[in-house]
Amino acid sequence: MDDAPGTRGAASAGPAGPVDPAVTDVAAAAAARARPPEETYRSAGEWIRKNLFSSRFNSLLTIAFGLLILFAARGLLNFVFSEERGWDAVRTNLRLIFTHAYPEEQYVRIWVCVGTLVVLTGLSLGLFARRGEGVQLKKISTVMAGVGAAIALGVILREPSVLTGADGAVVRENDDVVRQSFFEAMADRWVWWLAAAVLIVAGVVLRRAVASSKVSISSVPAVEFAVALLAVPVLSAWIYPWGHFAFVDGTFIAEPGRTVAMSTKVPWTVMWLLVVAAMALGRLMRRGFDEQQQQRMRIPLNLLWLGSPFALYWVILRDPHLEWDRVVSVDIPMGVLFGVIGAGVLWMLTRPGIGELGRIIAIVLLGVAAFNWVAAFFGWYSMLQKARLSFLLLALVALAAHNFAGEIVKRRRLVMAWLVLMAIVHYFATLMNAPSTVETPTEALIGGFAVTVIVAVFTIMLSFPLGVLLALARTSRLPIFRVMATSYIEVIRGVPLITILIFFAIILNLFLPVGMEISLIASATLGYTLFSAAYLAENVRGGLQSVRRGQFEASDAVGLSTTQRTVFVVLPQALRVSIPPLVGQMIATFKETSLLAIIGVFDVLRMANSVIPAQTQFLGIKREGLLFVSLVYWVFAYTLSKQSQRLERRLGVGER
Amino acid sequence: MSDPLQVDRGSSLSAAGARPPFYRDATVVKWLSQVLTLALVLFALIFLASQGRSNLEAKDIETGYDFLGTALGSDLGSGIDTNPNTSGRALWVGMVNTIRLSFGGIIAATVLGVLVGVGRLSRNWIVSRASSVFVETLRNIPLLVQIILIFVVIASLPRVTIDQGPIPGWLHISNKGVSIPRVFVADGFYQWLIFLAIGAAIGWIVMRQRNRVHDETGRATYPVLSFGAVVGVFGVAGWFLHPIFGWVGAIFDFGASVIDALTPGIVQVIISVVAVAAAILWIRRFLASHRTPAGLTKLVDDDWFRIIFAAAGAVLVILFVTLGWPGLSSWIINSGRDLFEVLGDKFGDGRTGPPIDAMRPDIEQVGNFPNYGPSGLNLIQGLAAVYFGVVLYTAAFIAEVVRGGILAVPKGQSEAAQAVGLRRSTMLRRVVLPQAFRVILPPLGNQYLNLTKNTSLAIAIGYSDVVQVGQTVYNQTGKTLEVVSIWMLFYLACSLTISVVVNFFNVRMRIVER
Repeated sequence: MDDAPGTRGAASAGPAGPVDPAVTDVAAAAAARARPPEETYRSAGEWIRKNLFSSRFNSLLTIAFGLLILFAARGLLNFVFSEERGWDAVRTNLRLIFTHAYPEEQYVRIWVCVGTLVVLTGLSLGLFARRGEGVQLKKISTVMAGVGAAIALGVILREPSVLTGADGAVVRENDDVVRQSFFEAMADRWVWWLAAAVLIVAGVVLRRAVASSKVSISSVPAVEFAVALLAVPVLSAWIYPWGHFAFVDGTFIAEPGRTVAMSTKVPWTVMWLLVVAAMALGRLMRRGFDEQQQQRMRIPLNLLWLGSPFALYWVILRDPHLEWDRVVSVDIPMGVLFGVIGAGVLWMLTRPGIGELGRIIAIVLLGVAAFNWVAAFFGWYSMLQKARLSFLLLALVALAAHNFAGEIVKRRRLVMAWLVLMAIVHYFATLMNAPSTVETPTEALIGGFAVTVIVAVFTIMLSFPLGVLLALARTSRLPIFRVMATSYIEVIRGVPLITILIFFAIILNLFLPVGMEISLIASATLGYTLFSAAYLAENVRGGLQSVRRGQFEASDAVGLSTTQRTVFVVLPQALRVSIPPLVGQMIATFKETSLLAIIGVFDVLRMANSVIPAQTQFLGIKREGLLFVSLVYWVFAYTLSKQSQRLERRLGVGER
Repeated sequence: MSDPLQVDRGSSLSAAGARPPFYRDATVVKWLSQVLTLALVLFALIFLASQGRSNLEAKDIETGYDFLGTALGSDLGSGIDTNPNTSGRALWVGMVNTIRLSFGGIIAATVLGVLVGVGRLSRNWIVSRASSVFVETLRNIPLLVQIILIFVVIASLPRVTIDQGPIPGWLHISNKGVSIPRVFVADGFYQWLIFLAIGAAIGWIVMRQRNRVHDETGRATYPVLSFGAVVGVFGVAGWFLHPIFGWVGAIFDFGASVIDALTPGIVQVIISVVAVAAAILWIRRFLASHRTPAGLTKLVDDDWFRIIFAAAGAVLVILFVTLGWPGLSSWIINSGRDLFEVLGDKFGDGRTGPPIDAMRPDIEQVGNFPNYGPSGLNLIQGLAAVYFGVVLYTAAFIAEVVRGGILAVPKGQSEAAQAVGLRRSTMLRRVVLPQAFRVILPPLGNQYLNLTKNTSLAIAIGYSDVVQVGQTVYNQTGKTLEVVSIWMLFYLACSLTISVVVNFFNVRMRIVER
């Protein structure tokens, strides 16, 4: 699966000989840049003449395409609104589609997760969303009038409804259904006519008002506008009879004609209020802070974003059961021990006069840490996984310690960072190893759309560092690193994702030591990560190659080491350039998670394709579910891609 | 690459004479870290392999590729051979299905993608809007969802009946899929190819000559048209005269007998000699690049390491061929002979029929149920779903590539073309498109690769492509690892082929910088 020019696979032509990624990015950059100047028209007639009937050929095209679109729209409308459609299959199974088997009585955990993300989003938007990028009122008016016209057109296009008898059954004559006459149908749909008329009139009035500058503002802030728009569906849950679905004592109750169940509309309303409150809080903070304080706020907020997937999955969703005896006797002492000893070692290693000795100690530590793993493999001796991991982390931090040597402030900062790192690592490691108390009938904790999002998020987070490392190795001057990275990247990019997934889902467990087993979702995430990292590496490589030679020379001139040059000079510039393709890669990963269905994970696609059509009430109803799943994917992917285009324009890639 | 600086710390330090302690010596650290990482990776791989071997032994599963010759217990849904007698043959059928699907998909996706991409830039509002909606819809829905949706939609079409159609005898659409007339390679095709090749060679000479005349005199000489005419004449002549090339097959038969006469030992020697020669050539070229008029520059440690690695590589190849896999040579001999024998048969004597033939689709009664007969080109349900899925999806991406490429041509180019009085069509053909093509080609090649890889999603709906057949095979034989290795090799070969073709055009299109 793939992506737009310059997003997936910046360097293009595969194993035979990579082509300069800069070449492929030109297209994307040019497409982003080329926005035609806005023309103004005096009247609607002039617009139509210039845009639809400017030449004989154009008129022909317009008519042909117009007819084509009308037929397609008619077909779609008749399909979607047909009385035979089983949309109840989707409405009734919404919970299944989004979370699969997660137990009903634990549902509040899911709402906590959604709420956390919503609050973080609101805070980020409130604090950092740019002012001035508003939605033009003129555009709103056009969209309103356009939607109104589309509704009117749709009402006319849709075929008349089927007549039903008193018992609700369809009236048939000679095996054919009997339909209303055209005018009856038009009269029957007066609500839609009203909606269309209101929208068109409102649009036109707004347009006039803006044009005659009776309204002093020409645009509304985009973020606030979007949040306010979200209130419409939330409010409608209280008023409009979307259907009432609830679990009562384990049995499912569906009453299509009533308003949405309390268990759904209350949480959604709370979520909306939360996002509003968080945004308001963010705005308040922004007003109270100066520029520097705002920048400082980014760090804790970003840390919260980074930590939230782990916290939400391992702590909130799984609700791990801790054996407190063991926690007190083993886990806490071990964490404290590593924290204190590590802090001592690092404090010593950053002493100003330590010199060569510091490096030697760090390398010895690294050797011991590596040996711990080797010994565990061969079974000579083994410590807890956590201890091995902490040891390795200590060795890695110790290797970087000389960068912090000297001033007492820097030394203290390194030690503090180590303590925080240990606290986080030990906290999560303990909770990861504790068994979950949430009981589900299936093997997996959660399914449906939630598992899609979880796998996508973890894949993106894990493949990023791996991809950057691979890109650095591929552009390195050291031949073995380069050859290894290049062959890895090209082999992975040359084979389809599904073969890699099958490998990890089915075969990986054959290669692990006896007694070690990886769950299906974990091994799938591993496969996705290794796959995605290869593509990500190519995107980052494009960025690395765009860093100017002068930057390297300058960093050498001021005496930076290779590591310092890479971390502090090259990578920040390279990553900034590769943000748009990286977002493209994220979208691709998100779409690729649909392949989970093939290897047997109960993801959203499997719900629509095999689980719902197997229910007795909805036997064989597939098209509706699949259309709904397409819509869900589309909304997410489209929003992401639009945001990435905005980001691209804001960063001005290719222009500076 | 990330480090364009030519300064090498290792060499400068060693040149200064006072070397630092070994653990601070840049060259030593560099190579030590590389060798250690390599060792670590190899160690991990070997560890996993040994673990896997012992696990497999515990489960009584043997490794090896013998299963390719054993019988497969099930039929395939479609392909050149729906009832293959061995697993290897079944995988081959799957590969052919994948290749056909990809090839047809690439052509259709290119045509559709270019149309949509140009349509998005159209000044006609309704055309550009329709194209945008096409692209934005298809691009943002996962391909797998689209394929399954198309599959389900086809299943809900009306049942197949005897005189069903939109156009009976030409086009049939039903819940069994789509059936259209089949054009197929017939008896005399390969001899006809020889005619076409000769025609192309002569046509190329004619075209060059015409181009020269055009450059000298400025007259319209229609070089491409004359090329087409020459090839056409030879094609028509060859249609009737192709049996005169019946003797070509004998050449291939001779080649087969030559290969058959080789012994494994000779092949081992040939491969060893080639490996050594390649290493020597590389080292010579490497040294030549370090030679200045003043003599050979001083070689730093890095350079020595490189030379040692090249030599070690050659030795490794020889060891592998002679000790690691001695069966390789006889495998090469056997497959080479088989290949030449097949070619000898294809080009052989006694093929007098027309090169290409066509048949119209028909519907036949199979028991109680009507079904598509074998004479039409049947896009059965699964095939149609994968085919339309990958074509539409890739077309959306190709449209974006094309649009980006056209927009990347500076506006000044078309303005200049208009200023010198070119017509709009000439301007597009001679000025804009050639420049756009240069930008389009690399990402277009990428899309072709993606399309080929995406055909593997056929597994979700049970169309017998190489992945789906492979799944059947490993379910029956338990040889998962071997099947995965075959998949990987096959797809790598496909990727390599496509990138070689794309790179060939890419090199030809490149601006020659002075």
